[in-house]
Amino acid sequence: MDKEPILWIERFSVFQRFIHLLIILSFITLAVTGMALKFAIEDWAQWIAYTSGGFAVLGALHRFCAVITFFYFFLTMILLYTKWRDSGQSIFGFLLDPEGLVPNLNDAKELIATVKWFFGGKRPYYGRWIYWEKFDFMAVFWGIAVIGGSGLALWFPVQFSKFFPGYWLNIATIIHSDEALLAAGFIFTIHFYNTHLRPEKFPLDPVIFVGSIPVSELQHERPREYDQLIETGELAKLATRRAPEAWLRRLSAVFGITIVSFGSILIVSIIVTMLKYIQHGMH
Amino acid sequence: MIKTVPKKLGAKAIFGFLLLAFLIPWSSAYALTNEDCIECHSDTELTTEKDGKTVSLYVDVAIYKDTVHADNGCVSCHVEADVEGDEHPFPMSPVNCSECHDTIGETYMNSAHGEAAMMKNDALAPKCKDCHTKHDILSPKDRRSTTYPMNIPFTCGRCHREGSNMTSTHELGKHNIVENYSMSIHGKGLFEDGLIVTAVCSSCHTAHNVQKATAPNSSVNRNNIISTCKQCHVGIAEKFKNSVHSATVTKTDKKLPICIDCHNAHTIARVKDKDFRLIIAEQCSNCHSHETETYFETYHGRASMLWGGERTAKCSDCHGSHDILPAQAPGSKINADNIVNTCSKCHPKANASFTTYLPHATHHNKDKYPYLFYTFWAMTGLLVGTFSFFGLHTVLWVPRSIIERIKLISKGH
Repeated sequence: MDKEPILWIERFSVFQRFIHLLIILSFITLAVTGMALKFAIEDWAQWIAYTSGGFAVLGALHRFCAVITFFYFFLTMILLYTKWRDSGQSIFGFLLDPEGLVPNLNDAKELIATVKWFFGGKRPYYGRWIYWEKFDFMAVFWGIAVIGGSGLALWFPVQFSKFFPGYWLNIATIIHSDEALLAAGFIFTIHFYNTHLRPEKFPLDPVIFVGSIPVSELQHERPREYDQLIETGELAKLATRRAPEAWLRRLSAVFGITIVSFGSILIVSIIVTMLKYIQHGMH
Repeated sequence: MIKTVPKKLGAKAIFGFLLLAFLIPWSSAYALTNEDCIECHSDTELTTEKDGKTVSLYVDVAIYKDTVHADNGCVSCHVEADVEGDEHPFPMSPVNCSECHDTIGETYMNSAHGEAAMMKNDALAPKCKDCHTKHDILSPKDRRSTTYPMNIPFTCGRCHREGSNMTSTHELGKHNIVENYSMSIHGKGLFEDGLIVTAVCSSCHTAHNVQKATAPNSSVNRNNIISTCKQCHVGIAEKFKNSVHSATVTKTDKKLPICIDCHNAHTIARVKDKDFRLIIAEQCSNCHSHETETYFETYHGRASMLWGGERTAKCSDCHGSHDILPAQAPGSKINADNIVNTCSKCHPKANASFTTYLPHATHHNKDKYPYLFYTFWAMTGLLVGTFSFFGLHTVLWVPRSIIERIKLISKGH
């Protein structure tokens, strides 16, 4: 077991952690209920529908979680607004901040450096946000626009067709369903691996639940951020001896591993099904 | 003339009566009365050996008095017993019901049952007594009768059930008939609601003219099914006659559907039942497989495969059932003039634009639905691209990550 670290630093605020909790709960529910419909012909999908009380229940849960999704999108906007307000920067300055969440040229350089690292080079000089984390964050915007928009059309088809041709609903179905497959597939494989399942972190990186990481870990993983904190003298102010509460760490481990397992089971079911379809030459 | 007719008839009747009155006492001076027979046959222990089996010769007079033959003398059926003295010849030939019931006898002789029993000498094939019993033949209106509607499934089921002598020695084609029937809408009507006007075995197969479905004159032959069902479902048959599925409307060499192609014979379900709603698309797919496959690609079809999915639109909800017409016919539910109404059944306030939704859409048909085809392939490209990039990224990362972990462990973390 790891030694108990001495100093800790907060990475995610309570508000940020709350948003991510909403994302987890709504996303996994949306994925399970939606995939049950997309793969309705499969036994596992029918089992989901049967166990949950029928497709009407799945539909209600799906729509409820869609509302949660719009809600956390709104909360994220508030979060960004307060961040921007507190930063004292102009709107462009805030968006183009080299240490911000918007991808920039340095991310391309880091991607190349990362590939070199894979093949034996030096570990890149990562900052607060690494490009794969930025991609996860941007995907929320892209995903909510595409899945949310097409989802609203499918939720209110009669109203939608007052403004657009009815057959666009067929197009919306394809976009909604395939974009959702992309989102679920991405989160349950790439995000899970990048964040939790890669051997350095396996089985779980609890920081999104407990909020803090040991300073030593920050120094190793995000050396640029660590150096910046030293330079500005922030580290001395932010570092604390208070470790996350034991109960919170236990709860995080149980909850996190459960969700990662659920997502993994679902994505394995989907992958097996897709492979079967490809083998049989259907879609 | 008019007045003389009854006179003549009256004269004949009187003459006939006198003749009978004269003949009956004299023709069999020592005729046995039923009481004479009962003297021996009321003994419950009176038995005989027949084909190595002990057969009871007991007759329950109490029941016999209620039977349709109560007023007949024993000897009117058992003619060989009509002898002088106490003992009749033994064994006697079997009773011949067609002595009186000649028309029914003839029908029976030409039926599958009669042919098997009489021509093929199949010992298991039913004769009159097997369905009607011997001395307990009650009116079909009597609740206790083997031919009372509520008892008919059991009467037929004595042979037509799994594990009977009949089914274990004969291949009868259909299986679990009684079980299936009792789960069907007809059977539920009979057994759950005690509805005696519901269809029982004989309603469709007839009582005495039971034929294999392959026989051209069978009531359950493909060509006769519609008339058979029409005996009760007159209104449906009339509607159907004008629908696209009727031979009077569609002239084709292809097989047109008849009642039992959609409503299975013995498992026929109530159409509003989940069980029926869930198989509608399957039924239609027997002929319209392309339409069904594409239906299953849409929301309606997908949802219908899930638990509770009987609620979403099925073929018949949009196209109708017995009154299906081609889209160009003015009365068709999917005709441009009616389709808004049809969609409105589930989607209130549906408008014309809404009805351009494609309920049989497929992204596999580039020529018919190019926008679906290209949307699908654009999305597929996006998925393949994203997963290829990040998949490769992850695969390359795995060995590096393992090394990093080992380093951490060796550092003592």
